[in-house]
Amino acid sequence: MSNKQPHEGGHCRKVFLVGNPNSGKTSLFNAITGERHRVGNWPGVTVQKIEGITITDSGRLIINDLPGTYSLTPATPEEEVVLKSLDEAANGLIINVVDIANFERNLFLTTQLVELGVKPVVSLNCYDSFTRAGGTIDLQKFSSLTGTSAFPTVARTAEGVTSLVEHLARPESLKVECYSNLLALPEIWQKSAEEVLAFQQLKWSTATPLQKYNGLRELISLKPLEADPQILEIRRRLAAQLSIGREKPLKVIDLACELASDRYRRIEKLISLCAVIPGKNIPPWQEKLDALLTHRFLGLPFFALMMAWIFWTTFSIGEIPMGWMESLVELAGNFIRDNLQAGMLRELLADGIISGVGGVLVFIPNILILFFWIAILEDSGYMSRAAFIMDRMMNSIGLHGRAFIPMIMGLGCNVPAVLATRIIDNRFQRLLTMLLIPLVTCAARLPVLVLLCGTFFPENPSTWMFSLFFVNLLVLIFLGHTTSILFKTADNSPFLLEMPPYRLPTPTSVLHMLQEKAMHFIEKAGTVILAGAIVIWVLSVFPREVPLSFDFAAELAAIKSRPVTSQTGEEIASLTRKRDIEQMEGRYMARIGKLMHPVMAPLGFSWRETVSLIPGFLAKESVVSTLTVLYIPYDEDLGKAMHKTGMTPLTAFVFMLFTLLYIPCIATLGVVWRESGSTKFTALSLLVYFSIAYIVSFAALKIGELLQSSTGTAAEAVTIILAAIFAGWYLLRTLLNTFIGRQCKSCASCSSCPAKGNDCPGG
Amino acid sequence: MVRTTQSLADLPEGSTGTIRDIDALSPTAQRLLDMGFVPGTPIKAIKRAPMGDPTTYEIRGYKVGLRRSESSLIDVEIKPDVK
Repeated sequence: MSNKQPHEGGHCRKVFLVGNPNSGKTSLFNAITGERHRVGNWPGVTVQKIEGITITDSGRLIINDLPGTYSLTPATPEEEVVLKSLDEAANGLIINVVDIANFERNLFLTTQLVELGVKPVVSLNCYDSFTRAGGTIDLQKFSSLTGTSAFPTVARTAEGVTSLVEHLARPESLKVECYSNLLALPEIWQKSAEEVLAFQQLKWSTATPLQKYNGLRELISLKPLEADPQILEIRRRLAAQLSIGREKPLKVIDLACELASDRYRRIEKLISLCAVIPGKNIPPWQEKLDALLTHRFLGLPFFALMMAWIFWTTFSIGEIPMGWMESLVELAGNFIRDNLQAGMLRELLADGIISGVGGVLVFIPNILILFFWIAILEDSGYMSRAAFIMDRMMNSIGLHGRAFIPMIMGLGCNVPAVLATRIIDNRFQRLLTMLLIPLVTCAARLPVLVLLCGTFFPENPSTWMFSLFFVNLLVLIFLGHTTSILFKTADNSPFLLEMPPYRLPTPTSVLHMLQEKAMHFIEKAGTVILAGAIVIWVLSVFPREVPLSFDFAAELAAIKSRPVTSQTGEEIASLTRKRDIEQMEGRYMARIGKLMHPVMAPLGFSWRETVSLIPGFLAKESVVSTLTVLYIPYDEDLGKAMHKTGMTPLTAFVFMLFTLLYIPCIATLGVVWRESGSTKFTALSLLVYFSIAYIVSFAALKIGELLQSSTGTAAEAVTIILAAIFAGWYLLRTLLNTFIGRQCKSCASCSSCPAKGNDCPGG
Repeated sequence: MVRTTQSLADLPEGSTGTIRDIDALSPTAQRLLDMGFVPGTPIKAIKRAPMGDPTTYEIRGYKVGLRRSESSLIDVEIKPDVK
């Protein structure tokens, strides 16, 4: 149906997809819309909005994929979108995707919708595994008992989707009639809700679904002290009415619990009347596989192997197509150099734009391979198990178990790692992971470490490299801890990790993911990275003419006019070098570096180090190449040159530490900006990295100076030792907590924690 | 019949309990209720993670992992006659 031409004058309807996470909502969306969909943002919130179009005989259907949620009551900003779209959705059409293999819980959302007078089209998804397991359902009866129209579907294979779409396209399916059905709100509740609505001059029969929802919400709100006395009175009466005939009277605070219980009672009754649920819908092989994959001793090694495999394929196999990309970029650059006249345009094209585009394209192989595996892990259901076994460790730095894969990928390259944070569905947790990923030492930072450690610590470079990693890790744990202590609440990070049944991933869903990822990256982050690369290039080659302290051309001519001696070659070389340096110092980049130098001087850096940090923003490995160029006048060998200009092992150590921490490269920053959707967050995190890098480097410098000076007083020595002990203890405690500790120190709801006082130190 | 109420977090691996109560003041409580953690529902502790937390539970035919911070909000009752 998706290939038909649009009908002129045909109606255009908005269809909203709602359903539980893992209910197959996105598969159904893909099955209905095919390739045609676009990704945007919901107004006001930075939650991805996915919209697709399908064309039927009678008109166009605009399909909106709403974020997955277990209930209309939002727990995250994503889920708030569902509630906010409720009125608009009720005016159009709502498809409620229900995973029939998980019937009771999925019907909760349906019940909420029906209570509010919405008449969703119910897509009973995963119908095949339901019937295979021996389940049966009387569709006619289900429809008449719920007032909805129900369609069995298998979204993964697009089975049943055609008749669903045909139904949506029929104009009469828009009519909503008032039903009295099994799932409807009991009269006692409706009357009380009506009383609440009366305060706002609203009536249950005419109020919009959202108004009704809010009315009902007033009755069960868990914060009783905030409500006004009249509403409290209604609640009290409601509780009294509901208590009739019970052995234990109902308290006002239990109303939320009572409403949920009542809904589940209605759902249970409905199911008993129209369906036979298979007793055990999890096949025994799945149970066995699950036991193995989450095994106390075998689970972790298996996960580690799988991670090693994914890491190796992403970054080692990924190097092969990366090489092709690089040679392609080189070819294109050479082609332009050969075929264009020398000048500004040629340089801009060859050195600015082409290498900038290359800088974007090199990430594509990594991203595709990584997301290929992520799609398979996610679709197969293993991702939840991986999060399950890693959660304890990640939780110790305030992260979700799902954050492990992005963090580990950060060791290869931060860019795909930041993209991989998509697998974390909680926005707060996703941002926290994004904040921490740039502190994971990526492979591009290694050249700086290898070079400087080798030069300044020739006896034991690996020990010093290790100590750098140690400080880096300490900073990462500290930042994770602090941010989660400061900002983490039970509101923004409820932990409910559903373990979906294992499924075989389908090629279409994997392809969909890969295509979307690659396009998304090129479109969104690629443009930012390209722009950044061009800016850095402009800074490094402009102004074109730099006033020189001597007439280079004249001196060169003078040397050449003299008879050739053994020194002529050397003289020319040194002259050229001198000119190059002067030109480089005149460029904007060096000027900015020199301008910034007073800021960096307390850390012991010379202006050369400061300048090299600027191209380091483009890519960390450029720090080394820039330093090499800047130090050439002192010595051909970078190490010797640095020694000559007075750089000590201590300043080298501090410089390496600063390089590790100061700022993520522009590509990482670009994806963080795009993926977080927040300029404020990106700017703030930049500030955080820079201040942390500055403080840590400064502290390292001072401690180092104290350690070196023999005049250090006893007090200073004690301070250093205490600081070292504290840092060591902090790390050790975190590690211990990770592996054996069972304290509920990360308990976000400590105030209401029943275990409080027993083993909760009040974290 | 002897009735023992304890926190869901302390339910031993492999045993089944019935939900008695849920801490209504916690912000997570509403979500747990919506997901079917209502009084009277049987719940089984399937497995603890290798590092001791979280734990997978089976409830209403599906499996869900909860950390101690969430599972300690729920009180369960183990009846001696329920396996």
